[in-house]
Amino acid sequence: MTRFLANNGWTLGLAGLLAMLLVATKMIQPEFGVSGLDSLGRASLPFALATLGMAVVVIAGGIDLSFASMMAVCSVTAALLMEGASDGTSALVVLAVLALGAAMGAINGTLIVVTRVPDIVVTLAMLFVWQGTALLILNAPGGAAAPWLRSLIVGGVALPGVSPALTEWLPKSLVFLLACLCAIWLPIRRSKLGLMFYAIGSDASAAFRSGVPVGRTKIAAYAVTGLFAALGGLSVTMSTGIGEPIPGPYLLAAVAAVVLGGVVLGGGRGGLLGPILAVFVLRLVRMDLTLMSVDPNVTTIVEGSIMVVVVMLGGVLATRGRRT
Amino acid sequence: MKKLLLGTAVVAASFGSMASAEGYKIGISNTVQGNGWREEMVCAMKAQALASGEVTSLNIAHRNTDAAGQLEDIRNLIQAGVNAIVVNPANADGINAAIKEATDKGIVVVAVDQAVTEPSAYIISNNQEEYAYLGAKWLFTQIGGKGAVVYMRGAAGAEADNDRDKGFKKALAEFPGVTVAQEVFTGWQQDQGKQQINDIIAAGTKFDGVWTSGIDNVIVDAFVESGAPMVPIVGADNAGFVGQLATVAGLKGAAVTNPGSVGGAGVALALQILDGKAPKDHTVLVDPVLWDNTTDAGKASIAAAQNPNLNPEWPVSVSIPNWTTYSMDQIIACKGPGE
Repeated sequence: MTRFLANNGWTLGLAGLLAMLLVATKMIQPEFGVSGLDSLGRASLPFALATLGMAVVVIAGGIDLSFASMMAVCSVTAALLMEGASDGTSALVVLAVLALGAAMGAINGTLIVVTRVPDIVVTLAMLFVWQGTALLILNAPGGAAAPWLRSLIVGGVALPGVSPALTEWLPKSLVFLLACLCAIWLPIRRSKLGLMFYAIGSDASAAFRSGVPVGRTKIAAYAVTGLFAALGGLSVTMSTGIGEPIPGPYLLAAVAAVVLGGVVLGGGRGGLLGPILAVFVLRLVRMDLTLMSVDPNVTTIVEGSIMVVVVMLGGVLATRGRRT
Repeated sequence: MKKLLLGTAVVAASFGSMASAEGYKIGISNTVQGNGWREEMVCAMKAQALASGEVTSLNIAHRNTDAAGQLEDIRNLIQAGVNAIVVNPANADGINAAIKEATDKGIVVVAVDQAVTEPSAYIISNNQEEYAYLGAKWLFTQIGGKGAVVYMRGAAGAEADNDRDKGFKKALAEFPGVTVAQEVFTGWQQDQGKQQINDIIAAGTKFDGVWTSGIDNVIVDAFVESGAPMVPIVGADNAGFVGQLATVAGLKGAAVTNPGSVGGAGVALALQILDGKAPKDHTVLVDPVLWDNTTDAGKASIAAAQNPNLNPEWPVSVSIPNWTTYSMDQIIACKGPGE
């Protein structure tokens, strides 16, 4: 039990912070309820998927600055191909876009491994490459999203045979997010591949000496990140109904949530639950500040300050824990 | 006090859904920050809310984000329980879902500057296609209907840029002798636009005029600094450029109005609708005007628009007749109700 607490202290702390913020929101706006949770879930979805993708590559010791541009490529590709397409075709489009995302991630990873140029430089360059690609595919916002796809993240969960009162508070967008997490990350985390991600992230040469194929593992990590970028881009198209070629504010937001979520930027340490909680914390802070009609320029200062304080506090607690 | 509260509650209840004449709560959503035009728009919204006397509080969501982020902002404003939302949409289709949710709850939604396709929203915007057409036509006439022009657009992929491109192309089609020497996207960034024109001048590209999408005063600066022969330049009614039209020797140019104060008009429209005076049409277009320094009428407009207190990146057309009621000092102060 103590060990569980020690290992998951950061995540539990974030969960506590999130619970406190939810209570605070209810106090600021007494009418905050089902629709508020739903809008929180939908607003968080692209950020959460971006954060998951970034967390995977950071755990494996890298960083992907081209993330938001990859999301844009996937978003415009999906929106363009889905315009006027039937339900069946649009399902194929979804699969194709997921493959496209993974392929783009694999290209990033391969370039890093083959050229031996640092991750941050290669992905910075690819940021511009993918940004141009997105604008070539669609030079202005446009396209469409299949209605069935859009309805996947709207409203609360309704299960046949269960009273809606029991399930309607649970946003479909949250279920969608957890489904993506379980379908992609859980199998990886429990397999050798997941272990290898952590191994190359914490010490690449030690991992190499233990027989881990460092290059191939790195490419795989970037491919998984690309897959999450595809999901993130799809989620933007699902919520807006269009594809946007200009990347949204997801790159730095994702890095911020990864750090706040307890993943160490050097790699090798951290999980994916913490970053997701961090996304909700950051979104809820923004919602509260809007509800209180705080000056919008102050809002970003508050967001940044929370991050610094939480990460510093976490650092202090971690050092203390090691001493005792 | 308790009695008063109780009384208010009874009055409110008896009026049902009808909002009281005093004390509306207005929400504002904008997705571009740090741009003179948008800052003027937000200040015009604040000033109009204050000048109307009908608004008790403003909830402002003002940041750099995309359509998905604006969906979040609008839903947050719905949660905040506002009576009306005035929004400068990131995209015509992308925020329809949240607008529908708002109007379903009885919240008045007014889109300013750019249109949205959600039919329950009201739209008040500058006519962007006409904006580009007016300026381009003036420029092409000015260079005698033949020659090459530098086409300095806004941000690639932006809705307003595409509309302006339509207007520019329309004018281009009317002047077969005119060609585009170079087409660049300034991203509506001053530094980027200046770099681009410096490159074009340095490369020795031959051109007879410059059309800009509002990044204008730095272009004039570049000509003055490099000593390159001045050509006719079209810009927007930004204070800096309008000042140059009056003072820079040898500069022939025209400013096309694109008032950021359309934001104030949006607040005025929202208040009219809340007071039960909705316009017949859901779309209200504000047509641009061209002020050139080659005619007397244009010179008079340029002289009248000079105000040393205005931020040089702000459009100088700070009010819109028949819509905005605030004073010049109120918009420069940029204070909303309760500030």
